Amino acid sequence: MSNDLWEIEQFLYQEASLLDRNDLDAWVNLYTDDGTYWMPVTPEQEDPINHISLFYDDRTIMEIRRRNMKHPRAASKEHPIRSSHIIANVRVLDEGQGSITVTSNFHCVMYAAGEQTLYAGTYTHGLVHAESSFKISSKRVDIINCDAALGAILTYI
Amino acid sequence: MNIMHATIMDTALEALVQESKAHKSVYTDQRVFELEMERIWGKSWIYIGHISQVPETGDYVSLEFANMPVLLVRDQTDVVQVLHNRCGHKGAKLVGKPCGKNGRFVCPYHGWTYKLDGQLVGVPHMAGYDGTAFDKAAPEYSMQKIRTETHRGFVFATLNEEAVDLKAWLGPAAITIDNLCDRAPEGDVEVAGGTLKFSHDCNWKLFTENLNDTMHPMVVHRSVVDAANQYISTLPEDSQNRTEAEIIPPFGASYEKFEASGIVGFPYGHHFDGGKTSIHANYSVDPDYKAAMLTAYGEQRTREILGYNSHNTLYYPSVTFKSAIQNIRIVRPIAANKTIIETVSFRLKGAPDSMLQKTLLYSRLINSNGSMVGADDLAVYLRVQQGLRSGGSDWVEFHRNHGSDKDLGDRLSNVGTSDLDVRTQFRAWKHYMVGAKL
Repeated sequence: MSNDLWEIEQFLYQEASLLDRNDLDAWVNLYTDDGTYWMPVTPEQEDPINHISLFYDDRTIMEIRRRNMKHPRAASKEHPIRSSHIIANVRVLDEGQGSITVTSNFHCVMYAAGEQTLYAGTYTHGLVHAESSFKISSKRVDIINCDAALGAILTYI
Repeated sequence: MNIMHATIMDTALEALVQESKAHKSVYTDQRVFELEMERIWGKSWIYIGHISQVPETGDYVSLEFANMPVLLVRDQTDVVQVLHNRCGHKGAKLVGKPCGKNGRFVCPYHGWTYKLDGQLVGVPHMAGYDGTAFDKAAPEYSMQKIRTETHRGFVFATLNEEAVDLKAWLGPAAITIDNLCDRAPEGDVEVAGGTLKFSHDCNWKLFTENLNDTMHPMVVHRSVVDAANQYISTLPEDSQNRTEAEIIPPFGASYEKFEASGIVGFPYGHHFDGGKTSIHANYSVDPDYKAAMLTAYGEQRTREILGYNSHNTLYYPSVTFKSAIQNIRIVRPIAANKTIIETVSFRLKGAPDSMLQKTLLYSRLINSNGSMVGADDLAVYLRVQQGLRSGGSDWVEFHRNHGSDKDLGDRLSNVGTSDLDVRTQFRAWKHYMVGAKL
């Protein structure tokens, strides 16, 4: 079955809008149970297991992160985290049996505790069909300055 | 020597640090920071790297040492050197890449060429120097060597020709480096799995003082510990998801547990908490790894090696080791209110791949820029940096259990929740800064 690019884009925008609102409870539900969120620390990194990463969250860590986000005692989450995501250059790279690989470029401006930070780079989404929409089986976030000495990245980009 | 900074008299410096309190300017004043770079970072042994990063002749790593560019290199005679990364001509930084392999070092500006041990061998269009005082063979025009020693493959360097040798400087605190190596069935480790670089908007000492600050985890890390425990409580007993989630709850251990872990402090500012036990003590042991250890060491020695469980061991001021986890964090001070912390992981030679994977999982969950644990540490360091702008008081205190540090001859010891760690660091601070007795 061929996938309408429009539908895929709408899904990516929906995910981005949940991140804009930092609504991790709803965001986690976009992922399959074995879904992963990976942010490598080197460009073109091949391996999330035998090499360190900035993030490599499976469902377990996503579940902890969404609970931590709302905890009243988290010093780093005392200020609201606001962000604005722009996604463009959406391309379907690969359409296999039941799964789709989609790349896109993103700019994410994040604001927290008086500091504004710009993240930019490439998303690679692995999507699977679920009911009338999609679920994310993997999301890879390559930020262009992944190997710089960055500060704390307070939430998913 | 930095001739730009305004000098602070030694008597004034000495008054900034007392037995159980320090003046806020040691965290905030850029002049104090410049003096620390010169007197602490310029006199102490500083962590450079591990020989596995330069396995062959010509391999080099470019890094910052006491805020100066230097190179770790394996030279043409197979000796590991630390050289100032500066051309002898106009001072250009010779090597720009973070790491690589070279036959020679060639300056990108005027093409001066150096051997791997730093000796100047080539100056283009040499005739212009005829009849001048310039002498190509004079050591001052070569890349300058820094005094370097290794302990079990770990490379340290010092700008201080009079410093005691590395073995004496490490003293009994070397036990954690030894334990890291001994945890390998082959008795040796290598750098593996990449580096994390984490920018901290705080003074370097706020990071080093937090390492054995066992009064903070239950407060600062409560949110992530609660989140992990809430999630774990939703899982069935036999769920695979437990293993990963269970890395986090020990960070919320009780005051009593941390108190029982103990802290020991050594001369030159080194210290660790734990030893017999630590918050890492109950992490499960991989059966294949256990088997490899038993084959290599036998039952009793394996038990001794795996039974040594310090939490963080600081080799003041530049590096902290976790032997039970097999990672280290390197401290790179940038300014009075800016520090970069690098996390490096190690592969235990002869151990199954799962051991490195576990180390990397830990580093990612606890030490990465995306860590929920690290983010909250950083947030409170920043709060201290902000709060110290207040004129409400000029002092930061560290009295906890002061007066009851037990002198065990080669070390001081006290309960794990004591401020012995901070007092140990400031005793070394005073030694390096104003020559106080260790």
